[in-house]
Amino acid sequence: MFRSPIAWLLGSLLPATMFPAASASAQDLLPKAPPQTAPIVLTNAVLHTVAGPVILGGSLWFLDGTIRAVLAADQKPELPAGSTPIIIDLQGKHVYPGFVSAHTSLGLEEIGMVRQTVDTDEIGEVTPEALALTAVNPDTTAIPVARSNGILAAAVFPRGGLLPGRASVIQLDGWTNADLAVRSDAGPVVSWPARSFGTPRRGRRSETPREDPATAVQKARQQVTDTFTAARAWLKARTADPSIALDVRHLALVPALRGEVPVFVLADQLEQIESAVLWAAEQNLRIVIVGGGEALLCTELLKRHKVPVILEGTHKLPRRDDSPYSEAFELPAQLEKAGVRFCIASGSDFSQERNLPYQAATAIAYGLDPREALAAVTLRAAEILGVGDRLGSLTVGKDATLLICDGDPLELTTKIEQAYVKGRQIDLRNKQTELAKKYRERYRQLDKR
Amino acid sequence: MECRAALVLSFLSAAVFCQGPPTNGPRSVDAGWYALVNGSVTTAPGAPARTATIVLRDGVITAVGGPAPDGAQVVDCAGLSIYPGLVEAFLPIDVPALDPATGDLHWNPMVQAQRHALEGEGVAPADREGLRNLGFTTVAIAPSGGILKGTSSVVLLDEPTATERARVVRAVAYELCSLQPNRNGYPGSQMGSIALLRQTLLDAAWYGRCAATTNLAPGLLAKAPQPSATLQALLDHRGLPLWCDSTDELESLRLLQVAAEFERTAVVIGSGMEFRRLAALIASKAPMVLPLQFPEAPDVSTAAAIEQVSLRQLQSWEQAVTNTKRLLDAGATVAWTTARMRDKKTFRTAMREAMACGITADQALAALTTVPSKLLGIDARTGTIEVGKLANLCVVHGDLFDPDAPIRDVWVGGRRHRLEAAKDNGLDGTWALSPWPAADSSATTTLTIDGQQLKLRTGEQDHKTAGVQRTAQTLEFRVESGLHGNTGPAWIRLQREGDGLTGTVRADLERTFPLAGAKAPTPAEKPEKDSKPKAQKQPFVPPALTALPTPLGGYGLLEQPAAKTFAIVGADLWTGDERGILRNGAVLVRDGKIVFAGPREGLPALPPGAETIDATGKQLTPGIIDCHSHTGISRGINEGGEAVTAEVRVEDVIDPDDSNWYRQLAGGVTTVNQLHGSANAIGGQSSTVKVRWGVLDPKQMRVQDAPGGIKFALGENPRRANGSDSNPRYPNTRMGVEGLLRDRFAAAETYRRERAAYETLAPQERAKVLPPRRDLELDALAEVIAGTRRIHCHSYRQDEIFMLCQLAQEYGIRIGTFQHVLEGYKVADAIAKNAIGASSFSDWWAYKFEVYDAIPENGAILRDVGVTVSFNSDSNEHARRLNTEAGKAVKYGNVPANEALWFVTRNPAIQLGIFERTGSLTAGKDADLALWSGDPLSYTSRCEATWVDGRQLFSIEQDRAARTAVTAERQRLIEKALAAGSGTGKKGPDAKDAYWAAEDLTADYCCRDAVGGR
Repeated sequence: MFRSPIAWLLGSLLPATMFPAASASAQDLLPKAPPQTAPIVLTNAVLHTVAGPVILGGSLWFLDGTIRAVLAADQKPELPAGSTPIIIDLQGKHVYPGFVSAHTSLGLEEIGMVRQTVDTDEIGEVTPEALALTAVNPDTTAIPVARSNGILAAAVFPRGGLLPGRASVIQLDGWTNADLAVRSDAGPVVSWPARSFGTPRRGRRSETPREDPATAVQKARQQVTDTFTAARAWLKARTADPSIALDVRHLALVPALRGEVPVFVLADQLEQIESAVLWAAEQNLRIVIVGGGEALLCTELLKRHKVPVILEGTHKLPRRDDSPYSEAFELPAQLEKAGVRFCIASGSDFSQERNLPYQAATAIAYGLDPREALAAVTLRAAEILGVGDRLGSLTVGKDATLLICDGDPLELTTKIEQAYVKGRQIDLRNKQTELAKKYRERYRQLDKR
Repeated sequence: MECRAALVLSFLSAAVFCQGPPTNGPRSVDAGWYALVNGSVTTAPGAPARTATIVLRDGVITAVGGPAPDGAQVVDCAGLSIYPGLVEAFLPIDVPALDPATGDLHWNPMVQAQRHALEGEGVAPADREGLRNLGFTTVAIAPSGGILKGTSSVVLLDEPTATERARVVRAVAYELCSLQPNRNGYPGSQMGSIALLRQTLLDAAWYGRCAATTNLAPGLLAKAPQPSATLQALLDHRGLPLWCDSTDELESLRLLQVAAEFERTAVVIGSGMEFRRLAALIASKAPMVLPLQFPEAPDVSTAAAIEQVSLRQLQSWEQAVTNTKRLLDAGATVAWTTARMRDKKTFRTAMREAMACGITADQALAALTTVPSKLLGIDARTGTIEVGKLANLCVVHGDLFDPDAPIRDVWVGGRRHRLEAAKDNGLDGTWALSPWPAADSSATTTLTIDGQQLKLRTGEQDHKTAGVQRTAQTLEFRVESGLHGNTGPAWIRLQREGDGLTGTVRADLERTFPLAGAKAPTPAEKPEKDSKPKAQKQPFVPPALTALPTPLGGYGLLEQPAAKTFAIVGADLWTGDERGILRNGAVLVRDGKIVFAGPREGLPALPPGAETIDATGKQLTPGIIDCHSHTGISRGINEGGEAVTAEVRVEDVIDPDDSNWYRQLAGGVTTVNQLHGSANAIGGQSSTVKVRWGVLDPKQMRVQDAPGGIKFALGENPRRANGSDSNPRYPNTRMGVEGLLRDRFAAAETYRRERAAYETLAPQERAKVLPPRRDLELDALAEVIAGTRRIHCHSYRQDEIFMLCQLAQEYGIRIGTFQHVLEGYKVADAIAKNAIGASSFSDWWAYKFEVYDAIPENGAILRDVGVTVSFNSDSNEHARRLNTEAGKAVKYGNVPANEALWFVTRNPAIQLGIFERTGSLTAGKDADLALWSGDPLSYTSRCEATWVDGRQLFSIEQDRAARTAVTAERQRLIEKALAAGSGTGKKGPDAKDAYWAAEDLTADYCCRDAVGGR
């Protein structure tokens, strides 16, 4: 087996002491991966393409961060003439597309309870101008932790208020925010007011007074409608007369109004989902439901309007005392059976993104086809987020954002051995692995171990 | 001692009632001598009604039967039924809280034991009238507010006179307590309330012993406790029954437990939901005083609303009406109370509905007369119609238990209160008024009276009226100018006379002339504003008295599962002992114990009737043990009112109804360490329970021989660094935490020494010293120092872990576990040396600053250095998949799979001191088992069955059947709720009690998070 290019690079250029344990720092101290300069060929691998069949003994090569070929055992790669490829014999190891986390605040938060490090909530109910990518910290310690388990891309969402801002899809390696961007503006977020108003999921408490919940919810929904109506009117006016002043909030909604991006609607309860879908149809907006805890109660509606759902994980308690204990575990299988398009997000704290594959694995235990479970955290997620052309499967033309492991990455005991983000091999170490090393050294010194 | 507790019976007769102030002028003499004749008399529950004369004199019944005496005023009761006056056993009233300026108060404002009901304003006029209107004549009033609230008095429901505020039947009837939390401090949780109750009762007993000692040895007075009115009062009340004001059925059990510890006769004032814990309450043999407040039908008006309604809520709504019937059938002593009713006027209707479930009139009458009389100790004077008893009667047009039968009179201590006259005003209607003198117009003026609403019109002209004053019999109002040419206002007064009205008009301040009104035809009614057709009143159909599951709600059990004899064969056994994983093994279980666990070929011959479960290809593990849980702890997991609360006990507030127990069984969990939260440096005592879902009494969940535990907490939470608490409380630094712990250890050591010294004294020597005070806080800490109670210490950072290790060394303590211990990997050697183990999260980090250095290899490194490691949940959700949390020890740190599972089986058992009985598949241990479809460390496996003590409490098949049953029962009840007219479901005793409504106590300081529940 060839040495992986990064190991080779690091081994020769960067002594191990370049990575001191970063115990007191809020930063990731590891250098980012260098750009891909030569074709990389992965051979003798089990290729889990997701979009197509599993290829045993297959090979795959990529250049300039893009997959150029996915080949069966008997096919030879046709490499560019004159190139010096790096050929890696994977000796039967598995290659998967990187996991795509479909709903997270990764990069916007460092420590949940230290307010100064939480950059998710803008002031005001309607702040679509807030673009997640702007505030993602490329050096957050949470990114290397997440990607060490194969999470290689994520949709980062602002939160709080009715329209907290716009989500961004990022890849989990880059020196700058520009390097991180896969899709800077993935779509605006709407926290759809619920009947039990006042605590939108994942959001802070609403500023709307609680005196009459029914009126409050009506008013809040009207405010959402008014926001889009006003933006549409502004767009029409400005198209006709460019001298009309810029409105950053209206401008932020233009791609959604034009149907270029979906509106991500946070809705968990039946009544929320139903009203949100009907609202979107009336507004002629393309939406994605985020949450979808009660999506099973309105599958026909979701299918009729072609609304996909980002499930917020499966590791959730049942809704009611008398609900089946495995309600959330079973939901993906049931949605799959009903024909609703969905993906699975981690549904957890930003620091828990690394457990995303296990949210899908639990669904397997409760009836979901294993291939669908894998797709739910790769290809389906990428498609629903509008980055299906770049991420989510081992397909020619897509980014070489993939991982190499010794088994099924939905199994806990599987180890992720290498990972590439857009063709660049990333360092799988992180603050935690370095802390472990540091203190193992302590016990070695103590002669404990 | 002789003061209040001497149970003074004041006498009632006006002739003898001479303690009052001197009469101002000549006496007013009321002979008070009546004969009620021709009535149909029910003298007592169970006695047949018969026509008899009842003679009352001086407030007392002097004859039943026989002729009416000559001198008595005869009251004809022909066609009427006469019952004993009803007795209300519980009416909370406002009694002023004790004034702190008066000195010797208890330190805690929730202890108001020296208050007495008669010190308050007494029964409010509206309550007096309201209760009399229902037939009540006697009431026990009790101070509201507080935990030890003071004492009640029984008084007559009479109107006060110039010389008496209330006629007292029994000055001191009972002592009242509850578990009401303190909104502004300690105790803020239910377990804290229980601890305060217990400590205060102990203090009273100690106070008494000190007094006895100093009486004999006055030389000790200098060291004696300060005089305390509160403790003296409690001492005096020891002979009184302790009435337990409870907001739910579990609270009743908890109060009964404390009463039993102090050998107090207890009476439960219930919530109306006692049927949900029937067996345990019946076993206590405590009499029940029950409200007849039934919850409204839950809101099932929309599909979304239905999604919010739980089966337990629906069942509670349907079955509340059967509460009394079920309790009576089980042998309980029941009195009824109007307490807790939002609208006491509905009492008789509620009573009728309860009786429709099968309660006889005799049982109902007893619940309102003889039973409360006996509970109040006034049965010699009230409850039946007997010579010598108080002249308390209830006279009804027909059946007392028919809510439509009007009550004509109630006699209260010989005084008659006419109820009908007050009700029948006879003024409502439309009246044609007599001609107005000097009116030019011949037009008739009509007056329409509808309660307070008046309409006065002449022809087509309406007159403005004002100043309406309406009593039952009279009406006064003012007419603004213009009526019949009047230039100024006119004042009109009318009353009913015969078929019409008579009265006077005072017009223009000068003229007064008579006015009469004759019934006029009612003008055509305008359509009412509220045009909703009034719902047709449905005849009440009682629900069937079918057996109810325990706990009520989905997945409850109708009967306790049997501990069968069975074998599980073919599974791979994760033994948890030195044998590791045995492929193709077998386990034999008998009487709840593992008889054999080993290779299949070694399975002994099965006894006849034993079941064999083929588990080929499956994996059998010991039941999962969660070493850090807050599941099933009622009303507050933190007693955060003080920095040290070692006196509170989680085992006092085990909630067996929590559906999370069932969910955890479905994740293979069989044993749980229920921990106090981490809001304070020294928290409460923990509780080790088995997940015995469906037990009748919460106490049955405890693992009896488990060593005691106690929660300690270091770092940000006891510092309250993440809260927004403006009230500064020590400690505020890790330094202060250390200082506080050191101080408490020192105090506990002194305490232990002093108590031990006292114990060694001979009786005659003991008389010469003051007895040491028993302090529940120091008791627990003395056990820690003695090594019989294990510290489970919430901790994150290495410095704080190291600190406690050092402190423990100084005091010779071996720490039980460090909990969370996310920087444990930095000081694993110190932990190995000073603690039994470390109980960590698999991979949580970054939720707060002190966990920024947490790493998922923590468990593995600790293990590699020699620490016994467990992974815990600290979460109702995570608890269901601890098996895969264990798997993360393989992923991060390469712990062998077999040993990784130890993290959630064997190791927590060792940490909790219960490895002798559970935590491995070893013959002789409890049959706590979990069967998995595949590798228990894989997310793609699921738990297929769980046994606790050999009882199968979960299986996929049982669960499937239960789900079907839940769906069917929900369907039935939702239809029933729709038919009943779906309400909001918010009212009724099942709703959150006012005590608790202000805050959700479970969302307090916990471990992962300062404000959330994690």
